[in-house]
Amino acid sequence: MLQSPWSRIGMRNLGRNPKRTILTALGLAIGFFTSVVMVGWTQGLMNEMVDNATGLVGGQIEIHDAEFRPERSLYDTIGGRDGIDVDQVLAQVSDDDRIIAVAPRVYAGGLLSSGDSTVAGMLMGVDPEREVALSRFLDDLTAGRLPQPGRNELVVGTEMARQLESDIGDELVLVASGADGSMGNDLFTLVGTYRTGLVEIDSAFAVLPLEDLQALVVLDESRIHEIAVSTQDPWLAEEVAAAIAATLEGEALGTEVVPWSELNPAIVEYTALVDVFYYVIIVIVFGLAIFGVANTMLMATYERRREFAVMLAIGATPGGVVKSVLYEAAAMGLFSLALGVAITWPVMVWWHNAPPDLTGLVGDIEMMGSVVSLTMQVEYDMGFTTMVAVALMLTSLGSALYPAFRASRVPPADTLSGL
Amino acid sequence: MTPDDMRRDVRTENLWKIYQQASEEVQAVRDVTLTIQPGEFTALAGPSGSGKTTLLNLIGGLTRPTRGQVRVADHELSKLPNHVLARLRLNQIGFVFQAYNLLPVLTARENAEFPMLLQGVSAEERTRRVDELFARTGMEGLEDRRPGKLSGGQQQRVAVVRAVASKPALVLADEPTANLDSASSDALLDLMDELNRDLGVTFVFATHDERVMERSRRLIRMVDGRIDSDVIRVG
Repeated sequence: MLQSPWSRIGMRNLGRNPKRTILTALGLAIGFFTSVVMVGWTQGLMNEMVDNATGLVGGQIEIHDAEFRPERSLYDTIGGRDGIDVDQVLAQVSDDDRIIAVAPRVYAGGLLSSGDSTVAGMLMGVDPEREVALSRFLDDLTAGRLPQPGRNELVVGTEMARQLESDIGDELVLVASGADGSMGNDLFTLVGTYRTGLVEIDSAFAVLPLEDLQALVVLDESRIHEIAVSTQDPWLAEEVAAAIAATLEGEALGTEVVPWSELNPAIVEYTALVDVFYYVIIVIVFGLAIFGVANTMLMATYERRREFAVMLAIGATPGGVVKSVLYEAAAMGLFSLALGVAITWPVMVWWHNAPPDLTGLVGDIEMMGSVVSLTMQVEYDMGFTTMVAVALMLTSLGSALYPAFRASRVPPADTLSGL
Repeated sequence: MTPDDMRRDVRTENLWKIYQQASEEVQAVRDVTLTIQPGEFTALAGPSGSGKTTLLNLIGGLTRPTRGQVRVADHELSKLPNHVLARLRLNQIGFVFQAYNLLPVLTARENAEFPMLLQGVSAEERTRRVDELFARTGMEGLEDRRPGKLSGGQQQRVAVVRAVASKPALVLADEPTANLDSASSDALLDLMDELNRDLGVTFVFATHDERVMERSRRLIRMVDGRIDSDVIRVG
């Protein structure tokens, strides 16, 4: 027998009413499952949201002229005769192992016309090969192919194509202000359409080769507006941006390196809010569970009043009785935790690796300027899972405090005489 | 507690226990003054409601007197705080109950060892004492059974072993034979008599079992909370 009899009594008491023990443990285990899966799913959605917000079009880091934001003026460029060597910067930045892709971009506001239809849009000049490696919106065109340099080709979003009543092969007139004050215009052939699911992108962005846009807006070919950078993990962006800024310091005066968290602070605030929401989940789930477990513990200890009276009569202190109930609660907590892990782990692995797709039910959801597809994609979070495990144990122990106190206050004489 | 303390007698002086039941006052024990010498084998007899169990509970420190004093091993129980009272019960008093009251999740051996564990007796010593007492009580081979797998007589024998294994000065037994058949009752009384004679343990019974009264060497009869007669018999 153990030196302390309380642990043995506590643990064995769990086996006295197996149905009740299993039901109570299931309550806690389902609380564990609910918390871990809900947070895992929310994190999956958040990751997708951040990933889409940064990876769909923008990139996780932007390097541009310090004056470029927020007006995004045609004239605030990097490169040129007196500026940085764009090719050298692209090569330098690409050296970092945490960086997946780097791509130069040129932007210009303009009008696109086809027949009687005209829409205002953002003309985006890209290096198609680099852009495909960096962003995702051109990965799977809904129709056609990517534009090729020097052939006056472009792709537009499906919504813009609809508004222009244009199809692949149609010619579009592009009009844009030139950097020299002139008004540039030219005829371009629509060779492809893309769809992100975000109307504000699908209706606004026309993508054409970098040099074609530079020619349209009379911008020197060594001048660009932005170098977009994608990192392996969006949450590395700040760290990588700081490293890039340090690398460029001294040789790229007047440029700024901005991580997505600075460009889109609403998402950062939203993720911080969601982090707080995780604690709310724990409090609600285990706050509800504590009453159920406390009720069960109270019933269980009430049924054993006579045993507590015997313990107290033969020399146990009230503290000893409290210990026996708390050991029982701890054993209940550990059993519930094991049950919870047994239920949760396979589901987490399944939903992480092959998440059920619910997009058929509600389609894609736009959130915080990003598009989120409704799948049950869950992410593992060992830190949070540990926190839930601790919350489960504390719930089990917390729910036993009052029953333990009551048990320790059982009057031996009255209880043993059946009063 | 010194060994000398353990040998001291049990005294009650002008002891009263009054319960309040609804608006009615119940005088369960009325002005009882009594001395029980070390090594006595005493029966408190009387009809139901005569106050014998309440007196036993007062002597055992399970309930506090309304008035008067109880002294056990030179300690005035009514003045002791709960934790000291618990310690005193652990070291000085053993209990045997009518309904056996073994802890159902512990085996016979673990039940018997329970008070010694609380006392901090070494595992070796616990095993030695329980083995010896189980051998004396015919419980050999049943050490690992839980109470649910033992007969009433066997459970009461484990309860007696539990009561005496921690070497108390006093064992209080409340109707120990009430739930036993006559053969089991006789065997249990033989056992307690033997432990009383061999180990010098003081036994006080609350009983209305004639066999217990016959075997006792002092018979105190109670009526309506008072001592009606107190007879010491030579045996």
